Amino acid sequence: MTKNKQQILSAAEIREKRLQMLYKILPIISVLLLIGLWLLASSGDSDFPSPSEVWERTRALFLKPIKKRTLIGHVSVSLRRIGLALLFDWTAGIAFGVLLGWCPRARAFFGPLFNAFRAVPPLAWIPLITLWFGIGEFPKILIVIFGSLACIVVNVEAGMSSVEKMYLDVGTVFNATPRQRLMKIAFPSALDAIFAGVRTSTSAAWMVVLAAEMLGADAGVGFLISRGMDSLDMPLVLTGMIAIGLVGALLAIITQFAERMICPWTRRKKSF
Amino acid sequence: MDEKKKIILKLENICQSYVVKDGVKDAVDNVSLEIYNNEFLVILGPGYCGKTVLMNMIAGLEKPVGGKIYLDGEEIHGSDSRIGMVFQSLNLMPWRTVMANVEFGLEIAGVSKEERRKTAQKYIDLVGLTGFENSYPHELSGGMKQRVGIARAYTNNPEILLMDEPFGQLDAQTRYAMEDEVLRIWEQEKRTIIFVTNNIEEAVYLADRIVVLSKCPAKVKAIYDLKDLPRPRNMTDPEFLKVRSEISDNTDLAL
Repeated sequence: MTKNKQQILSAAEIREKRLQMLYKILPIISVLLLIGLWLLASSGDSDFPSPSEVWERTRALFLKPIKKRTLIGHVSVSLRRIGLALLFDWTAGIAFGVLLGWCPRARAFFGPLFNAFRAVPPLAWIPLITLWFGIGEFPKILIVIFGSLACIVVNVEAGMSSVEKMYLDVGTVFNATPRQRLMKIAFPSALDAIFAGVRTSTSAAWMVVLAAEMLGADAGVGFLISRGMDSLDMPLVLTGMIAIGLVGALLAIITQFAERMICPWTRRKKSF
Repeated sequence: MDEKKKIILKLENICQSYVVKDGVKDAVDNVSLEIYNNEFLVILGPGYCGKTVLMNMIAGLEKPVGGKIYLDGEEIHGSDSRIGMVFQSLNLMPWRTVMANVEFGLEIAGVSKEERRKTAQKYIDLVGLTGFENSYPHELSGGMKQRVGIARAYTNNPEILLMDEPFGQLDAQTRYAMEDEVLRIWEQEKRTIIFVTNNIEEAVYLADRIVVLSKCPAKVKAIYDLKDLPRPRNMTDPEFLKVRSEISDNTDLAL
């Protein structure tokens, strides 16, 4: 009485399988649709480059570098800039957020200034930063920091100021010292908010670095796009845009994966 | 008998009130109580009558506006490591595994890792959670979470355990099972237990003595000594029902 496995699947399992299948197919359909529309838009005598032209341009960029850098080289220049900025965000920014969230006096003191600071768009700092630091790597990294710091500070502050009293009560009953309350209760309970800050600061940094590079740089993905614009090389512009999209998505996946590794408890079990 | 009657905790004229929108609200009104070593004391009162407030004051989570608390004859102010607590809302830390939650108090006390593993394991075994050491709280059922809460409180070896309506959120079946568990653990690891509930049946089932509180503000209304009611108790036993209805006639209803 051995039955084929296919046959003994219950109706619920079949439904579940179909649903899973659909979720796998839908993203593929959307990408195919986009390419179809793209082909349509570039057909005939429009100036818009076709997918094959962009593909050729991308390949050419690997073989014939611009300013001595291939596509990979330019992406890594941009990544290095946000890497250094994020290093600062994730140390000083987290520390500052903890201070603001945990210590009401610090919040009262720094709060208004910080709110004004984060309302100023990072690109508005370019004239001042150029005046003070000229051009080079440091001012670019500084702009990226100005554009992404608020994301992490705000999230960490929110997490640290909304620590559930019931967890702190446990600390009180066990006679925890203020330092233990901070390190063993408040900080871990805010970790998911901190990770939300890590994710948003990463994507903000990636956007700001490209904008900063477009305004004046001789390397980086943002530079590629402005170079493409100046030399009417539309395929190069699209190559840059696609690279930005892919790297941005990759960064999001990496930070999400890191969160799951570091905070396994946020992976809630499926609820029925 | 002398040893049994040793007073471990004494509440003297405890009062608590809060400033609310339209004046001052009294929550606890002049409560005096003596609690004996190793007894199972149940505090029974209607909902929102100030039972939790009373527990919080003993645990040191809030300061009374009046009155004194003596532990082993000495006045205490604030939390004391000789008093442990099982919380109503569990308060397990979602970022810690069962083992890490149970170890928490020892970690705070600075006990070495090896030592606290050993002690925590002993109490995890005692509450019947062997095999779940590495699970996270969200993976456990309500009854299992409450077991973690009990193990965590026991692990620090307190002289007095406060249990604030620990089974209020459990379904009836699990609740009966957990009541038996608490009795079993209490028999095995004798401690003084102060157990708060609004359920008369639960009170009569568990208690050596029952302190009945009035509705808000909480006052001591009556004290019943159930030492002579033999254990294990049966909820359908005529004697059990007699005590139950006697207390029932003397309790205030929550509004």
